[in-house]
Amino acid sequence: MATIDNEHLTTLKGAYDVQLMEVSLRVQRFGGEEDSRRRYETYTVEVPTTATLLDCLDAVKDKHDGSLAYRKSCRMAVCGSCGMRLDGGAVLACKVPMRPYVDAGHVVTVAPMGNLPVVKDLVVDMQPFWHKVRAVKPWLDTSDEAPPQTEWRVAPEQQEAISKESLCIMCGCCVSECNSMEADPDFLGPAALAKAYRFVGDVRDLDTRDRLRDLNGAHGIWDCTRCYFCNQRCPKGVDPRDAIAKLGAETFREGLHDGIQTLMTDEGARHAKVFIESTYKGGYLRETELVPKTIGPLGALKEIPFALQLARAGKVPNPLMPHKAKDNAEVKRLWKLLEQQTPRHQERALRPEDVTTAKGV
Amino acid sequence: MIRHDVVVVGAGCAGMRAAIEAKRAGVDVAVVSKLHPTRSHSGAAEGGINAALGNATEDSPESHTFDTVKGSDYLGDQDAIAVMCHEAPGDIYELEHMGAIFTRGTDGRLAQRPFGAAGAPRTVYSADITGHVLIHVLYEQLLKHDVTVYEEFFATQLVVDGGRCAGVLAWDIVRGGLHAIEAKHTILATGGMGRMYYGTTNAYACTADGMSLAWRAGVPLKDMEFMQFHPTTLKSNGVLITEGCRGEGGYLRNADGERFMASPAPNAMELASRDVVSRAEWVEIAEGRGVDGCVLLDLTHLGAKKIKSRLPGSRELAIDYAGVDPIDEPIPVRPGAHYQMGGVDVDIWGETIVPGLFAAGEVACVSVHGANRLGGNSLMETITFGRRAGQAAAERAREEVDVHARIDRAAVRDEERRLEGILTSTEGERPWEIRDELARTMYDKAGVFRTESALLECREKVAELRERARRLRIDDKGTRFNTDLMSALELHSLLEGADCLVTGALARQESRGAHSRLDYTERDDERWMKHTLTWYDRGEVRLDYKPVTVTKYQPLVRSY
Ligand SMILES: Cc1cc2nc3c(=O)[nH]c(=O)nc-3n(C[C@H](O)[C@H](O)[C@H](O)COP(=O)(O)OP(=O)(O)OC[C@H]3O[C@@H](n4cnc5c(N)ncnc54)[C@H](O)[C@@H]3O)c2cc1C
Ligand code: SF4
Ligand code: SF4
Ligand code: FES
Repeated sequence: MATIDNEHLTTLKGAYDVQLMEVSLRVQRFGGEEDSRRRYETYTVEVPTTATLLDCLDAVKDKHDGSLAYRKSCRMAVCGSCGMRLDGGAVLACKVPMRPYVDAGHVVTVAPMGNLPVVKDLVVDMQPFWHKVRAVKPWLDTSDEAPPQTEWRVAPEQQEAISKESLCIMCGCCVSECNSMEADPDFLGPAALAKAYRFVGDVRDLDTRDRLRDLNGAHGIWDCTRCYFCNQRCPKGVDPRDAIAKLGAETFREGLHDGIQTLMTDEGARHAKVFIESTYKGGYLRETELVPKTIGPLGALKEIPFALQLARAGKVPNPLMPHKAKDNAEVKRLWKLLEQQTPRHQERALRPEDVTTAKGV
Repeated sequence: MIRHDVVVVGAGCAGMRAAIEAKRAGVDVAVVSKLHPTRSHSGAAEGGINAALGNATEDSPESHTFDTVKGSDYLGDQDAIAVMCHEAPGDIYELEHMGAIFTRGTDGRLAQRPFGAAGAPRTVYSADITGHVLIHVLYEQLLKHDVTVYEEFFATQLVVDGGRCAGVLAWDIVRGGLHAIEAKHTILATGGMGRMYYGTTNAYACTADGMSLAWRAGVPLKDMEFMQFHPTTLKSNGVLITEGCRGEGGYLRNADGERFMASPAPNAMELASRDVVSRAEWVEIAEGRGVDGCVLLDLTHLGAKKIKSRLPGSRELAIDYAGVDPIDEPIPVRPGAHYQMGGVDVDIWGETIVPGLFAAGEVACVSVHGANRLGGNSLMETITFGRRAGQAAAERAREEVDVHARIDRAAVRDEERRLEGILTSTEGERPWEIRDELARTMYDKAGVFRTESALLECREKVAELRERARRLRIDDKGTRFNTDLMSALELHSLLEGADCLVTGALARQESRGAHSRLDYTERDDERWMKHTLTWYDRGEVRLDYKPVTVTKYQPLVRSY
């Protein structure tokens, strides 16, 4: 064997030196079908001062109880595996440094995400989540099938329209905290709707109208209560509520050019439609039209006792003489202006065959 | 029993691209993956994917080929490299048409950025989330084509019957239970094996499973000693800090504040190639000029504005995982195991020597990277060779109407007994204890610099750990979402992969690309311009070699 003078170079000095801290955490345990009691256990682990919540769970699993179940993979907040609740709000376990909690002397509580069935401990069943993603037809709809000869031309500003939505890692943190989904488990929800906007806002996609029609249906965009919890909890800055608002705006825009909002068929959508129509007609919302136009004349009959109650309390405006803006022409001028300023759905991307000749010049 | 024409094991970029291609060819395809597809580690790639589109400056597939051959330190097979470089542009256009959101130039075309050792700006990218964009666009296509996915199914064994691969045995992680999945053709796309090193950029799931599956099925692993180290990874968890930090003007300093790259690379300085920078850092730290086991990546002189606008992702990672805001303080970094150049020996269609078995992506070794991979080439490899493997497997499956893959009941029962054994064992060590010992051994003894004595120690340790791993005890005795059981299985893969790596490294008495021997410091084409093959031989590693395919480019000294 050759002897060499720099053998010491193979090993790094100080590679494993770390400062340690003690972290305590209360973790919800649930054994699934075999043991369906939910209980909390408190563990104390010694971890490096840089440790994240995920590192602490790893320490619990290695040193205390190997049966603790949770998902993980990338440990760098890109794979979306490790969504769970920390003190009642959804986080990515791998994105939460624990040092501040230790410094504050606070023992955190860890539980699985909300709005999804629990499989075991911190693992939830993501199937309902993926069903909804699938329901928005999450793929680009273009007409070409033959192998392309070059790329579509898309201006950076056009692409910018979907830059936030394209950051989504499908972790489910938003869904976990979605207010509306608690009431209506079939609500498409923030993640699927943000994904939908990723295609509606993509200039290469040819399916905008049909997408919008579907999204305006039952359990669609108008079911959102605008609680903004999704924006607050999203670890990637997707802001799903903003995407939902953009879908609403796209719907009006597509509708405006038709004269009527034919896309808006669901109750929630019709509700929104009354706002547009009546402000267009009179500059004000006509409250008395709101109910019959939203839920239909038959449904409205059922609401008559409630309406009378409101009337007795003086809360119903005169249906025969609705409020009207003093200068309705001004309102119409404003509408016109708005319409002119709102670009038609963005210019489509240039088709590759239109640009092949231009390429390489 | 489940049966398909083609079964793809793994759902990263390579696996999904293969499945989409096979499905388009009209055969019945399924994907088996221990993670949900979008959780695969391909999603972590930041920098980009190489194709000579010529959008930024003049470029050609020929020039891409040459750069790759040279980058490989002449260990790459030139026919395979030419295939990739010539097919890359078409593959990129196709990804773009599938919906990939790549960064655009002002003319609306795909932007291309310069990357290390490339003759032209050739890297197509999406800000610093290229892998994320690819993994999601491929998943969209998987849904569009309605490919069956066995999600959170862990492949434990390939079944070879009468010399032919008949499919795979897989454990249903969520519900528990072993399933036999029969296939006329099986494509392995299980990714890398960085987890055998203490410091690594790889995800928890990168555990050499596919290498071990193929090895035990009788396919040799090729060039396993070539593990690329990335120079800037965080000490706390190995997370990669992009080369972009140095591209934007960041400095590397030692404990004395010196820019130590001045001596090994006076011109390129911090932007020298990955292996050069990793070695320089390693020397600084090993000789005691490091800070707490690291060197310092200093961005402070770039100013808050530039850091916030150009490097927001890196800043966030440093704050979250190192507790350091790079605006105020330098980031401690060190080299970490990053990419396995070697892998399952396949031809340019991804086919192995076992009929019915293919491999593509990081698990495979075609080989396009040789001794050293260029940044941006491995994502391209997953797409181009994933597609080719999918196409080839589907063609075969269609032609072979009278082939009926059958998995014998007995094979299933044997495997069930093995898993039962792990589940019920009450003595032995917990898997993590052995895993940690392995990771430290590899990082200390088979890292950036190697010597015969260190590698001998390493091989001995690996052998001891393999022996100890025969008796494992896990805490979780249940069948539902038992990740304890998974970690036991992954440990076996890691140990087998490590054994092949260290055996190959010990034998290779030269320095080439990522394999750097302090006792044999030169490249030795005469003796070593050949591929290492490591075969399974009754549980042990048997060494063998095969020639490198040279078409146009004779070996030259690799200098930049
Ligand atoms: C941090 C980082 C940054 C990188 N950046 C770049 C870059 O900028 N450009 C570039 O070209 N390359 C880059 N690379 C390298 C590149 O990303 C990878 O080589 C490539 O993505 C590997 O893809 P893959 O499809 O082969 O494997 P993966 O994406 O790792 O997928 C492996 C799949 O196999 C499955 N699997 C594994 N074992 C089993 C089993 N036993 N049973 C069932 N399923 C299993 C997993 O679930 C997963 O779906 C980077 C790598 C890292 C780590
Ligand atoms: S804003 Fe809407 S989508 Fe978001 S959490 Fe609240 S109800 Fe759900
Ligand atoms: S929108 Fe945000 S919180 Fe919701 S799934 Fe996507 S990344 Fe997660
Ligand atoms: S482990 Fe991937 S997001 Fe946390």
